[in-house]
Amino acid sequence: MIENIEFEQKTDEELVVIVLENQSVFSYLVNRYKDKLLRYIRRISNVGLEEAEDMLQNIFIKVYLNLNDFDDSLKFSSWIYRIAHNEVIDNYRKRKARPQLLDIDIKDSQIKELAGDTNLLEELARQELKQEISQALSRIDVKYQEMIILKYLEEKDYQEISDIIKKPLGTVASRMNKAKAELKKVLNTNHKL
Amino acid sequence: MENETFNKEILEKLQELKIKPRARWHFLLKNYAIWISGILALLIGAASVSVIIYLSSYNDFSIRQDINKSLGEILLLTLPYFWLIFLSLFVFIVYYNLKHTKTGYRYSIGFIVAFAVIASIFLGGIFYATGLGKELDEILGQKAPLYGEMINPRVDFWSNPEEGRLIGIIISQTNDEDFVLIDKDQHEWLVKIESDDFAALHLTGGPLRLIGEKKSDGVFEVFKVLPMMPGHGFFKRMNGGPHPPVPGGPRMMEQIEINF
Repeated sequence: MIENIEFEQKTDEELVVIVLENQSVFSYLVNRYKDKLLRYIRRISNVGLEEAEDMLQNIFIKVYLNLNDFDDSLKFSSWIYRIAHNEVIDNYRKRKARPQLLDIDIKDSQIKELAGDTNLLEELARQELKQEISQALSRIDVKYQEMIILKYLEEKDYQEISDIIKKPLGTVASRMNKAKAELKKVLNTNHKL
Repeated sequence: MENETFNKEILEKLQELKIKPRARWHFLLKNYAIWISGILALLIGAASVSVIIYLSSYNDFSIRQDINKSLGEILLLTLPYFWLIFLSLFVFIVYYNLKHTKTGYRYSIGFIVAFAVIASIFLGGIFYATGLGKELDEILGQKAPLYGEMINPRVDFWSNPEEGRLIGIIISQTNDEDFVLIDKDQHEWLVKIESDDFAALHLTGGPLRLIGEKKSDGVFEVFKVLPMMPGHGFFKRMNGGPHPPVPGGPRMMEQIEINF
């Protein structure tokens, strides 16, 4: 029990060092990330729960396999999200299907931030806006969808997004601006209709 | 998803498939290989810059009136396209390798390409100063196929007697006014010069560029003689070996320019 608490208090980076010596400690890393990654996979792909769980299992196996490749030039969370991002892309390629948004759960706080940043229509009721954003996200380009999801739903900063999708900061910033503009355009069009 | 079940499944799978983390040396080796091949590509690109500088330092801009060509025409006909393509290829390899280093994705295409080009030019300048450009041109001139056609386009440019340009080496002197020159295709030319200054010429040994007029098949009258520095090695292929030594060394040859 003491050992459990000790591991719980370790940072991700410290746990990585321990996992390399003791495989069973890997379950602490799995615990920390499985829900977040499962939600992320489902947000950026059109797979069902079962397939998402299979992908999640592959992700953790790849994480374990490549633990020695992790270095502290980036956050562990960025590194594990990058592996998840790549797994989802590999999955698209295998299925030869473009991903669509299927399951987007958005918190009220996230809606508020996204609405503020994109000057969305304030008069819409929060629940209605949530639904409209989900639909609008499904209608914009996949690379823009992921920008919005990483920034507002996964709550990553620009540096983390840059490390996850392996693009320069400038590209992340311009892609984010385009993503917000696209989203706003689709939302405004929907609202006028 | 059951927490414990999922964790157990992962650990069981790792044990069942006997999965171990890949060794650190595996990643280090991959990383070093990317860096080393990137650095090698940069050095090769820089070497090609040194040849470009060497070839360009002997351009024909100052004699454009003698050969009836505009600046643009000379540039177009004598640009070292081969080396520019070669350089572009190695700049691309540098870009590709830098982009695939661990943190390479953080830099934009423009930044990496600009870095590769500037570093190639800087190192190329150093290589040129050490004489590498000349040395490479000499070696390739002696050994590389299609040297005259692709690697040094000035050999082809100067092999046009119809337009009054001829390049080759002197193989014999018939009298004070005439000598025999062999061109790049091993054709012999009787070259006529009406000047006493010819006495200084036959000592040069290296290839000469002649400006003049084709009088008939195999006969060329010369107005101006200039040495040919890049491409020197190419003419050593003829007659199976090097030419007589140049008095005063190569710089003396560069200074020789005789008008008739």
